[in-house]
Amino acid sequence: MNFAASPVLALTLPTWRSRLLLYVFIACFAVLLGRAVYLQGLNNDFLQAKGESRYSRVIEIPANRGRILDRNGEALAISTPVKSIWAIPGEVRPSERQLARLGALLEMSPREIENRLAETGRDFVFLKRQIPPEVAERVAALHIPGLFQNREYRRYYPSGEVAAHVLGFTGVDDIGQEGVELAFQDGLAGKPGSRRVIKDRLGQTVEDVESIKAAQDGHDLALALDARIQNLAFSQLKAAVAQHRAKAGGVVVVDVDTGELLALANFPTYNPNNRHKLAGAQLRNRALTDTFEPGSTLKPFTVALALEGGRVRPDSVIQIAPGSLSIGASTIHDAHFERSLTVAQIIQKSSNVGAAKIALALSAESMWEMFRDVGFGAAPGLGFPGEAAGKLRPYRNWRPIEQATMSYGHGISVSLVQLARAYSVFARDGELIPLSMLRVDMPPPARRVMARRTAGAVRAMLEMAVNRGGTAPRAQIMGYRVAGKTGTAHKQENGVYAADKYVSSFVGFAPASHPRLVIAVMIDEPSAGRYYGGTVAAPVFAQVMAGALRVLDVPPDGPMQPIELPPEGEEVKESV
Amino acid sequence: MLWAALLLLTFGMVMVYSSSIAMAEASKFTRGSPAYFLQRHALFLAASLFAGMLAFQVPVRLWQQAAPWLFVLGVALLALLLAPGLGREVNGARRWLSLGLVNLQPSEFMKLFVVLYAADYTVRKLALMHSFKRGLLPMFAVMLVVGWLLLREPDFGAFVVITAITTGILFLGGMNGKWFGGLLVMMAAGFVGLVLSSPYRMQRIFGFMDPWSDPFGRGYQLSHALIAFGRGEWFGVGLGASVEKLLYLPEAHTDFLLAVIGEELGFVGVIAVIALFSWLVLRAFAIGRQAVALERPYPALVAQGIGVWFGVQSFINMGVNMGVLPTKGLTLPFMSFGGSGLLANCLALAVLMRIDWENRQLMRGVRA
Repeated sequence: MNFAASPVLALTLPTWRSRLLLYVFIACFAVLLGRAVYLQGLNNDFLQAKGESRYSRVIEIPANRGRILDRNGEALAISTPVKSIWAIPGEVRPSERQLARLGALLEMSPREIENRLAETGRDFVFLKRQIPPEVAERVAALHIPGLFQNREYRRYYPSGEVAAHVLGFTGVDDIGQEGVELAFQDGLAGKPGSRRVIKDRLGQTVEDVESIKAAQDGHDLALALDARIQNLAFSQLKAAVAQHRAKAGGVVVVDVDTGELLALANFPTYNPNNRHKLAGAQLRNRALTDTFEPGSTLKPFTVALALEGGRVRPDSVIQIAPGSLSIGASTIHDAHFERSLTVAQIIQKSSNVGAAKIALALSAESMWEMFRDVGFGAAPGLGFPGEAAGKLRPYRNWRPIEQATMSYGHGISVSLVQLARAYSVFARDGELIPLSMLRVDMPPPARRVMARRTAGAVRAMLEMAVNRGGTAPRAQIMGYRVAGKTGTAHKQENGVYAADKYVSSFVGFAPASHPRLVIAVMIDEPSAGRYYGGTVAAPVFAQVMAGALRVLDVPPDGPMQPIELPPEGEEVKESV
Repeated sequence: MLWAALLLLTFGMVMVYSSSIAMAEASKFTRGSPAYFLQRHALFLAASLFAGMLAFQVPVRLWQQAAPWLFVLGVALLALLLAPGLGREVNGARRWLSLGLVNLQPSEFMKLFVVLYAADYTVRKLALMHSFKRGLLPMFAVMLVVGWLLLREPDFGAFVVITAITTGILFLGGMNGKWFGGLLVMMAAGFVGLVLSSPYRMQRIFGFMDPWSDPFGRGYQLSHALIAFGRGEWFGVGLGASVEKLLYLPEAHTDFLLAVIGEELGFVGVIAVIALFSWLVLRAFAIGRQAVALERPYPALVAQGIGVWFGVQSFINMGVNMGVLPTKGLTLPFMSFGGSGLLANCLALAVLMRIDWENRQLMRGVRA
């Protein structure tokens, strides 16, 4: 056809152009094909990884928090399921009616809800957390789009204020904030599991890809606490603080055999289930975190040290007359005048002059060592947040007057738990055992800090202090022999001893023949007239000890006859 | 060829449904009905097929006679868009004429009209094709007007397709090689100028070159489309199992339908689509050359013009989906959701088949 020169034929369309164009198209489609191979066959790993990062999310599966139990398995802290209501702000458009009903259910004003929902820049806003499941169901029944619910747990403490300081509490995120909940957070919390899911752009899960890790529920925690004894200790303490119009108080009960803390009560306290309007004073676990100058309760340690060194024997006579002792510019007084006292009587009647005289015969270093050996000046190591170490100054700086006052518990500060622990040395024939907040099945090894004989001798003196002629007849219990020591100390305010502010205490153990429990009681600033440890703290000790021994079924070792108390005001007054 | 087109149409319907479920459910506009887009698409499809059958009855000669008038109609409709109150604006572009129940997209029909008109023009001036002044200039002037109207909407994609159709037909119609070369250079320069002059087009260009540099801004659409392809691998994640369509990939049921196909049906699905379009283009050109052989220049140019149209538009759309070409608002012919596009495609297909039918009649010795 090409050789035809006819002008008509020349008008026909050039076929080569058509073919060329077609080839161009085929080439183009081939490029697409190649690109598809590249995208889908070769580079897909990269693209998939990019995709994952956009819509695959790892969501957490919460682990159940372990319960906190007392030593007998009674629940002290449990997790109950609750719901949280959250919203995607841009997507919630409730009607007036819905808004009003939602507000009523969540106990929020409609305006408050609207303010939350106005944060349209965010994809996630909590409206209310930790609401009861039945309320959450009624919220769900409103069928408001864009409103979602999360399952959460809320801690509930059946014993309420009784053991609040020991248990502590968890925050809204179920993380321990105080007490055992904080100290043993890791074990209680367990390990949350996780799953990988694919979410659409609105955040709804569309596909479960894989379970990465199963949730590991937290372990239940068995405390050393005995709920019955704790209840008893708390109720007696509460009554005593009220009766003596005291500022605060604490009771600590320690198992002599195992070092377990069977009870630890503080007042003032709080209800961990309703923590609105909490004051710092209510929150403090005073028995563990606060220290005080113990007063006469330290005299037995001074005497024990003197007995250890063979400087005195229990029946050695010490001259007390004229009833005061001047060291430098300071003078130490006794509350009642005695010409002379035996070492045992110094404990029984709590003579400051006697204790100071004994102390001045001892070296500062040995006294310091004794105090250190029974656990003063160092945190007791319960693993509890904020345990106080107390104040035990280095012996090199002690002046003679300081060494003298320290012998009867001034110029040194201890916590109530430290005091209870130190007394377990007398109860355990001279051994110091580590304390434990948790139930102990095998008692840990104890450390000997004084001779068996010494401990036995001091025990006998402490028994005298409780009996007729001692400072604490009100610590007696029917059917059991009791040993213990009172303490009454002026409180320091701004570095000066206040004339009318006292800390009254009593530490003791029973049965004296084979001690089972050490109980320490402290009442801070009793202001109803009485302030002696023997009248304020000792009765609390007696009540708690009697109840606890009964609870533990401890066989009696004393006469089963009513206790005769001296008439009010005629007991032996302690030297303050 | 009919089968290829029908396969594309059916396949397209399934994919439009699959890709639009999530969007239909999420949108307030559809009242939460997941089949909203499917219903509308099926309705358009039925109407388009019916219109196509009617169009098949029209002899090509009649199309040729009507071509200038249809072209004028098309220009008028485009101009109407600019009239205030008539054009419906979506995403910053006025591309739709609101006609009560349905919206009309004039640029889709304009593509068909341009094919018909350019072919008619070329045939009339066949003898003058070597002349610049009388062959090229008048057409050039007309196309400037159309191009201007399209860019005012703006509809850059339609502009490119229509330009391609016109140049393609002029080229096939035997335009002087020298002038044609000059024209190509000019168009390239004009294209670059247009792109540089508009920040909106600039953005699209840069998004295409490196979608990962700004995957949540400029490269958002494209990066999601690419992820969809990557997830599909060879055989796809399965029909309906696409994640990208769950509101991540915008316009999954229109411009980015191929990405969803790539994700759900994998390489196999993509290759099927490419093959079907290749076949369509191949057949259109074959029919055109048949017409040439039968000395029917007008049908020949129309057939090839339609081939250019389908070829360019499907290539650009797929190229955009796969990140070979800059992002443009172009649908996939026969497959994507959209009534006007579907109708225009079916009409073009009918014209193509009519040409083929007339060719066969001629070869059997029946004179038209």
